[in-house]
Amino acid sequence: MEIVVLVKLALDTGQLRMTETKIDLEATPLKISDIDRNAVEEAIRVREKVGGKVHVISALKYGPIQKRQQEAESLLREALAMGADDAYLIIDDLLLNSDQLMTAKAIAAAIRKLGSYDLVIAGEATIDGYTSQVGPRVAAELGIPVVTFVRELKVEGNKAIAKRDLEDAVQTVEAALPALITVTREINVPRIPPLLQIRAAMKKPINRLSLADLGLSLKPTVEVESIVPVQVKRKGVIIKEGTLDEKVDKLIQALIQEGLITPR
Amino acid sequence: MKALVIGSINDTGLIGLAQRLEKPEIHYLLIGSGDAAQLGKYGVSKVYQLAAPVDETSFAETLVDLINKETYSLVLAPVSKYFKTAIPMAAQKMSAPLLVDVVDIKQVGNAFTVVFNGIGNRAQVTIKVTDKAFLMAPPTRFKPGENPTGTTTETLQPKSVGAIKVVSTEEKPKGRVRIEDAELIVSVGRGFKKQDDLKLAFELAEVLGAEIGCSRPIAADLKWLGEDHWVGLSGHKVRPKLYLAIGISGQPQHLAGMMESKTVVVINNDPNAPFFKNCDYGVVEDLYKFVPALTKRLKEVLKK
Repeated sequence: MEIVVLVKLALDTGQLRMTETKIDLEATPLKISDIDRNAVEEAIRVREKVGGKVHVISALKYGPIQKRQQEAESLLREALAMGADDAYLIIDDLLLNSDQLMTAKAIAAAIRKLGSYDLVIAGEATIDGYTSQVGPRVAAELGIPVVTFVRELKVEGNKAIAKRDLEDAVQTVEAALPALITVTREINVPRIPPLLQIRAAMKKPINRLSLADLGLSLKPTVEVESIVPVQVKRKGVIIKEGTLDEKVDKLIQALIQEGLITPR
Repeated sequence: MKALVIGSINDTGLIGLAQRLEKPEIHYLLIGSGDAAQLGKYGVSKVYQLAAPVDETSFAETLVDLINKETYSLVLAPVSKYFKTAIPMAAQKMSAPLLVDVVDIKQVGNAFTVVFNGIGNRAQVTIKVTDKAFLMAPPTRFKPGENPTGTTTETLQPKSVGAIKVVSTEEKPKGRVRIEDAELIVSVGRGFKKQDDLKLAFELAEVLGAEIGCSRPIAADLKWLGEDHWVGLSGHKVRPKLYLAIGISGQPQHLAGMMESKTVVVINNDPNAPFFKNCDYGVVEDLYKFVPALTKRLKEVLKK
């Protein structure tokens, strides 16, 4: 079985480089989007059961390319160390900061370039954009079924059986392969690769693809005008000295001052 | 400019967002039952009523046909897992952008600018769109203005694509909480060692008159509370006057869901918990000692 897993090299939102007026995206480190690690793990688990190969596909969205290329490849090595067989990095100036329409077109083209594929797995959302749209978009582009928000996946013969975690119900569905599945964090616990596998990953191939390699010429549909950090000023009063009762009283005084409670 | 608002009869807030366009012609795609004619109150000139519920892929196909027929410039939908699945498919087929968590739109001639929360909810991003676009936002963020007009209603027959077969559906236990609207929230995290211990927080919440919120592990992994309590980027976004977090470490995904809270109180025994860097008042103390003591003292202060 040929399994494709989509991995976003996302902005590490826990380490945003920001001032009061500006977010320096170029200086903010990237990381594998948390939920995409679950996607990689699930892809490997499926392969362990039914055999085949796991291909990682990633589109670089944040520049500058000169600086990011090395960073992107070392991140993809983490997915290879977990057990993926090879990786494809779509790297092109036109894709930087582009919208998800272009990302999905590029990823779908890379998937088609692989030749045959049976299963595409992605995270339910990425930690930076959090719009959940690239998975369904890629499925629409490829014209294959999509099953989103999956917390349990089984592959049997030519079909995927999945439990979808919806707001008010758990829905069990079947889809014929090839299909695209987006997974939630609850589906598994991503493995931490041992040193031996990390070393072995150094030898696995990372193939670079430009939009020209994919036969694509894309025109952006949106233009970013500004990115303004949301500043929340917090008082940061830490109550750690004193007895338990003193701490309780300090907090209650604060709640009264803030007008949140009124003593009777 | 022609806009289509999608939603149930309770999602009319999004009409308020569409009304920010210049002289908008607003249509409504009504899902489920409800009195379509009452939408005329907000200036909706045409209502399409979906005859039956369908899966996301079929909905996307149905929507694409409708957009092509009516040539809408803007399509607005609520934020839910159903629409997060269906709308991107429609957007891809229409070669259009989709902006999620929109806070404002402004028309500039034939183009418009869209402001939305992005980058892990840490920034407001403004973009310019020159052609058609799809927007998603929580309807409760907006209020439609009254602008009565005559409305025509048409039943929309959905296409059935049948790419996916639903084998079974198991309802989750229903909660009654609308945490998004709560003014006071007591929120619980992994600092609680077992489910039974949550009663410490329930007692505190009762004295304060607060709703109960929680972090991802409590709702999604441990299932100690229903998802209607879950605060965070993939749970609910809240904006209470008081957000009192007990035993929550403060991961970025959680913080993104409660950033708009007015006063933030954090109770945690780990002085290095990241939440302490994002609070108004932080108490470094064992929650098992502090919470009961706080509840007891509050009862005295509030005479409850």
